[in-house]
Amino acid sequence: MSDAPIAVQLRNVTKRFGAKTAVDGVSLAVEAGQVFGLIGPNGAGKTTTFSMLAGYLHPTAGSLDVLGFAPSAVDALRGRLGVLPQDALLPATDTVGQLLVHMGRLQGLPAAAALEKARQALAEVEGADWWTQRCGALSHGMAKRVALAQAFLGSPDVVLLDEPTAGLDPRVAYEMRQLVKAKRGRAAIVISSHNLQELEEICDAAAILDRGRVVAQGTMGELTAANAEIRVKVKAGTRRGTGPGLVDVAKLRSLETVRTLDYDDEGCELYVSFERSKAEAEAVIGQVLSVLLGDGVPISGVAKGRSLEQRVMDLT
Amino acid sequence: MSPVTEIGLLASRELRRSVRSVKGLILGIITLVGAVLASLVLTWVEGQKVAEAGSREALVELRRQMLEKQTGDAGLARYLASMPQSLRSFLDLTIWLGPLLVALLGFDAVAGELQHRSVRFWAVRSRRSSYFAGKLLGLWALVALVTVVLSLLVDGFALVRGFVGAADILRWGSRFALVAVVIAGPWAAIATFISSTFKQPIGALLTTFGTFFLLWVVNVAGVATRARALAETGTLPRPHLWEYVYPNAYDNLLLSPEPGKVAIALGVLLGFVALATAGGSLLFARRDL
Repeated sequence: MSDAPIAVQLRNVTKRFGAKTAVDGVSLAVEAGQVFGLIGPNGAGKTTTFSMLAGYLHPTAGSLDVLGFAPSAVDALRGRLGVLPQDALLPATDTVGQLLVHMGRLQGLPAAAALEKARQALAEVEGADWWTQRCGALSHGMAKRVALAQAFLGSPDVVLLDEPTAGLDPRVAYEMRQLVKAKRGRAAIVISSHNLQELEEICDAAAILDRGRVVAQGTMGELTAANAEIRVKVKAGTRRGTGPGLVDVAKLRSLETVRTLDYDDEGCELYVSFERSKAEAEAVIGQVLSVLLGDGVPISGVAKGRSLEQRVMDLT
Repeated sequence: MSPVTEIGLLASRELRRSVRSVKGLILGIITLVGAVLASLVLTWVEGQKVAEAGSREALVELRRQMLEKQTGDAGLARYLASMPQSLRSFLDLTIWLGPLLVALLGFDAVAGELQHRSVRFWAVRSRRSSYFAGKLLGLWALVALVTVVLSLLVDGFALVRGFVGAADILRWGSRFALVAVVIAGPWAAIATFISSTFKQPIGALLTTFGTFFLLWVVNVAGVATRARALAETGTLPRPHLWEYVYPNAYDNLLLSPEPGKVAIALGVLLGFVALATAGGSLLFARRDL
């Protein structure tokens, strides 16, 4: 963890619903300006953790801080915390403009500033034309973008996004990701999502939850072992063995920088781990490719680390 | 931001939302049509009574005599008899139908937003107590608005028909409207309280109706008991203390010529609103959304 101030912190947080423990002793910290992912399968406790951070749910035990305050301290966090709740419907009878201005006023903005910020927030999600539309008349994608606009309204210091791209078409989802990326460094953004590729793309760090507990957390590089592992994809149908066109596992394992090496015969992929202190990933890639190309093995692709998806599959 | 500003923003938004909703529009139309019909009926009845008595003055005198017999208080009887009966009858109708209007307008005020989780957009921007109070005041303001509009309509009708003069409207019409507005407060508080405890609006609707009906039954029991006493003794006894759990039971106190009684009624009704707001806010703040 760097020296950046902590924007969001959970200490040993537990949430029980009757006999069911949804979140069990979760501790994590999000730095200011960081994009942080909450990852896990259904029932892992992501949304419950998210809801406690937003102040919707009260923890059974433990404590949460957002910018040094309990999430329930609305007055202290006014205008500094923005939230995109999952599955929350916008009020049908309000027009988009009325709603955003009202939200801005509640954030403590004077009327003129609330109007200006509301228009700005709506323009950011490319919805400037919807100002006079009733929220009830918006399509799912439009409503999601309006909800995102209210989350970023007034440039809060912490923004919580629950499944921000769920149900959106690819183009709109891409635009959403670009918007979040544009906010990186200006706000601590916590994203709860099932979309692992998306999280891998936009998050600086993440926590992987399973059955209410944190099973791994760290920077995205740490989680995907980008500094300690490489993957080499070879042409489909390539078998292991010695000789031309075959993957010589023994020869590759004998390389000085290689710590462990596995070959997935089915997926035709090599997983190579190495000592970070002994070599850079690029050097290891060079050595491994040199052996493979020397043996005439056709290469399909090379990547640093495991995919986040693979990591989550391994852990949950 | 002060809670007062916060509540003001929430209440005004709630009022705007209700007025623009389909439910609000339908209820508004029904209420207006009802008011016009009620005006026609009440002024017709008043006209018939005046005709039977011979003149308006004669009718007032008849009423005074009857009220003096019932209450045993000549001053009070003279005061009550001076009220324009068409307007007073409309007040009775307004406060009797008030709970129905409150229940229909308010049952989903909070429950609807809990059901669709829309409340979560507000939870990070307003204190939960302010949200609750804003919903309550918004509902109360809406009912007050409807009441005032209807009263103006009926006042105008009675003025045109010649049953009341401009002075009567200033003296009594405005006071009747005010009484109806004050009495709507506790009903709005109960409805908001119940609405905030349900995630399904239908549950809130049924519970609200059930609660209102129970309070009405308590009142009916009290009135029936006193009516029997009136029939037996010729004098109307004072209401039992327990009858005052029914907010509409305060109308006579609020219309009393004695400022002390008016103050007590106001104090109890507004105290009830404050208590329900405090209790409702506390429960709402502690619940998961």
